[in-house]
Amino acid sequence: MMKRLVSNVRLFLEGALLSYIALFRWLSPMTYLASKVVMPLSSMLFFVFLGMYATGSSDASFYVIGNAVQMAAVSGIFGVTMSISGDRWDGTLAYLFGTPANRLVIFVGRAVIHVVDGMLGVLLGFFWGVVLLGLDLSQTNPGALALTILVTTFSTSGLGLMLGSLSLITRNVMFVNNTVFFSLLVFSGANLDLTKMPAWMQAISQALPLTRGIASARQIIAGGDLAQVAPLLNVEFLLGMLYILIGFSMFRWFEYQAKVRGTLEAI
Amino acid sequence: MNAIEVRNLRRVYKTTTGVFRRQTKEVVAVDDISFEVAEGELFGMLGPNGAGKTTTVKMLTTLLIPTGGIAKVMGHDVVKEAQEIRGRIGFIFGGERGLYWRLSGVDNLRYFASLYHVDPAVARKRIDYLLELVGLSDRRDEKIEGYSRGMKQRLHIARALLHDPEVLFLDEPTIGLDPVGARELRQVIRNLQSEKKNILLTTHYMFEADALCQRIAVIDKGNIVALDTPEALKKIVQDLTVIELEVFGIPQELVDLIGTQSFVDNVSVEDREQKQVLMVQTPRGAEAVPDLLAMFNGVRIGRVTTREPTLEDAYVRLVGGEA
Amino acid sequence: MSKYRAYLRAVLITAEMTLRQNVADMFILFAILFQPLIIAILALWMLQERGGDYAIFVVVGSGMSGLWSSLLFIGGNSITSERWTGTLEALVGSPLPLQIVVFGKNLAQVLQSLGSMVVSYLLVVVLFGLDVSVAQPGAFIVSLLLTVITFVCFGLIIASVFVLNPDVQRWQNGLEFPVYILAGFLFPIALLPGWTTPISYLLSPYWAAQALHSTSSGSGDFSQTLLAWGMMVLSSVIYLALSKKLFDYVLKKARVDATLGMQ
Repeated sequence: MMKRLVSNVRLFLEGALLSYIALFRWLSPMTYLASKVVMPLSSMLFFVFLGMYATGSSDASFYVIGNAVQMAAVSGIFGVTMSISGDRWDGTLAYLFGTPANRLVIFVGRAVIHVVDGMLGVLLGFFWGVVLLGLDLSQTNPGALALTILVTTFSTSGLGLMLGSLSLITRNVMFVNNTVFFSLLVFSGANLDLTKMPAWMQAISQALPLTRGIASARQIIAGGDLAQVAPLLNVEFLLGMLYILIGFSMFRWFEYQAKVRGTLEAI
Repeated sequence: MNAIEVRNLRRVYKTTTGVFRRQTKEVVAVDDISFEVAEGELFGMLGPNGAGKTTTVKMLTTLLIPTGGIAKVMGHDVVKEAQEIRGRIGFIFGGERGLYWRLSGVDNLRYFASLYHVDPAVARKRIDYLLELVGLSDRRDEKIEGYSRGMKQRLHIARALLHDPEVLFLDEPTIGLDPVGARELRQVIRNLQSEKKNILLTTHYMFEADALCQRIAVIDKGNIVALDTPEALKKIVQDLTVIELEVFGIPQELVDLIGTQSFVDNVSVEDREQKQVLMVQTPRGAEAVPDLLAMFNGVRIGRVTTREPTLEDAYVRLVGGEA
Repeated sequence: MSKYRAYLRAVLITAEMTLRQNVADMFILFAILFQPLIIAILALWMLQERGGDYAIFVVVGSGMSGLWSSLLFIGGNSITSERWTGTLEALVGSPLPLQIVVFGKNLAQVLQSLGSMVVSYLLVVVLFGLDVSVAQPGAFIVSLLLTVITFVCFGLIIASVFVLNPDVQRWQNGLEFPVYILAGFLFPIALLPGWTTPISYLLSPYWAAQALHSTSSGSGDFSQTLLAWGMMVLSSVIYLALSKKLFDYVLKKARVDATLGMQ
């Protein structure tokens, strides 16, 4: 039992390490700069300015907070999906399916690095917010905010894992990714006051990650404490777990299908 | 005027290895070669993979700039007068790529025809003719992604002929084709030559060079090791007999040992499915057979035959060792 | 056939073939349709508060974002995509200058991405039931034509620069939104700090947005529109001249470095 635990932990760490190496091998410093700094910053600036134009006010904190937390989706969706559907995986997937290795550990291990990466992205977003856009963090409980960020990146990565599993069955990965990512922009409440949206849009928002995370962050920065946002964070966390569960089921189903049909290549 | 003229042509590639500590290596792909192709000639470049054939062709078709030396096509320098050359030559590198797979065969041809400034009315007729020539008329409207390897190769040929070029460069045109397809293609090439086109062909199939070319340059590791007609090249091995032994799993040390024998000029091994054929070139003829057999302790031997040398054996001799 | 007729014919055939190949490409569909659509939806909701003629503003603005993203990601890959299909050598080895081919490809792609504007229009009118009308139709059409030309010419520059340094390709991600911001697609650049204004002036998408917005919303006076038109023509000429030098340099380098073939 102990041995099993140890080997699972090792499997988990190896998977995480592999993802880490894979992530940084194809990224030259320039690419990293472009996709982790310039792109998130510029998209954040775009929506913040748009928001300021729309409301005519100079207080952009609503948009700043929303877009900063939204950064979690960059690694949560793109990063996680790519690490499941990427070439590095295809070659080894067939072999992994022949081992007794714990599938859940393999599956989830891939996402760990992106949770960390996502958190850094969000923190960077807040940094820009403070430095460039006058975000006022003086009322914020740092622990509560940190927890919010962690839970949100976790749940977004959960969605990413589910999309990643989906990508094993379809060729149009980037299409799915981009659609979901941009839909999150609309439904997460990063740029819109959800209470003013029609009921069907609100329903979708509630089913997606990020929504409660953003709402949480806004409350905390306005001076709220952990107890106030706990209900939101709880559901956000559970949502993440749900996505992971669905994703993992798909992943297992995929393995089964591959073995039944004799097609261990994805497509 | 010669169709093609090459003087001291050289091409060096720089490759970098490693990510953090970059090391630059220089690979000499074409090492100071010279030759001429006369008007109306079907000239062949024969050599193993990596010998420098494709690199030479790419330089002659203005796709690569030489590191040294001069090359001229129809009297024009390939670097300084590239534009003059491009409209008068056709080239194929073949293979799976090089065509637009979402477009149909005929659309691909229409497109390339416009790249070569072929008048639309002329293009239409020529496309019909060429599709007929390469046997693709009934598949003309299908997308390339549905074509087999052989069909793609044939469409490449059609593409190269769209603008009725004076010089044709065919880089390994029959590679990947089934025997029937390859034979048909060779006939097409012969027909083209009879139409007074200048053709430079590269191949690693000895029999193909023998069958088609009027002169052959044997190239290995970037150097021309021989340049002559097929008959003359065969004379290189005229004095030799080739002893062929069917063996099963011959160890490399034995092959090397045989190679060092004084009566052995050259030895090579060819893999044929489950067995291998050991080919020993020797001036002693059939007499050498017992001495050879004595060296085989415990290694299974099948049939043993002696035969006249072919161009392939000449090639082995020139290039040394591996078939 | 005279040289220029041959060039024109080649441009048209290249454009035709590009369109034919793009029909089934999902990624292109995304760039042209989905992304601008989502941006349009967002902008519509956000700008509702402002009132006024925001509907046409959103249609044009989101359409432009589709135009720019398409140019950046697809037009920018004009040459590198030929390398991936293995057809670059055949193109370079033909007597037709490569610029003509890329011009044709970009033309098809820019025209195609005008579809973004159409889709946004449909979204706004059909889904949101808003009234959309163009204030100065004639001037708007002229602005559109000039926009197409200047985008196609700019595409020539991007395509050649992206070939030079494969890493620059990654900057595609980095260049997308900054241009949305600096060119004032969906909000006036007056919102931005003053020092960015000269940068905006250097970008032809800015002038295109100026012209399209002012002729569709009818805001501002005509002299501003004329200025924008003039700048678009000027920048197109500059881009064309610059592109010839760039292409010569890029192709020479590729033939020396042996990077025309597959990587």
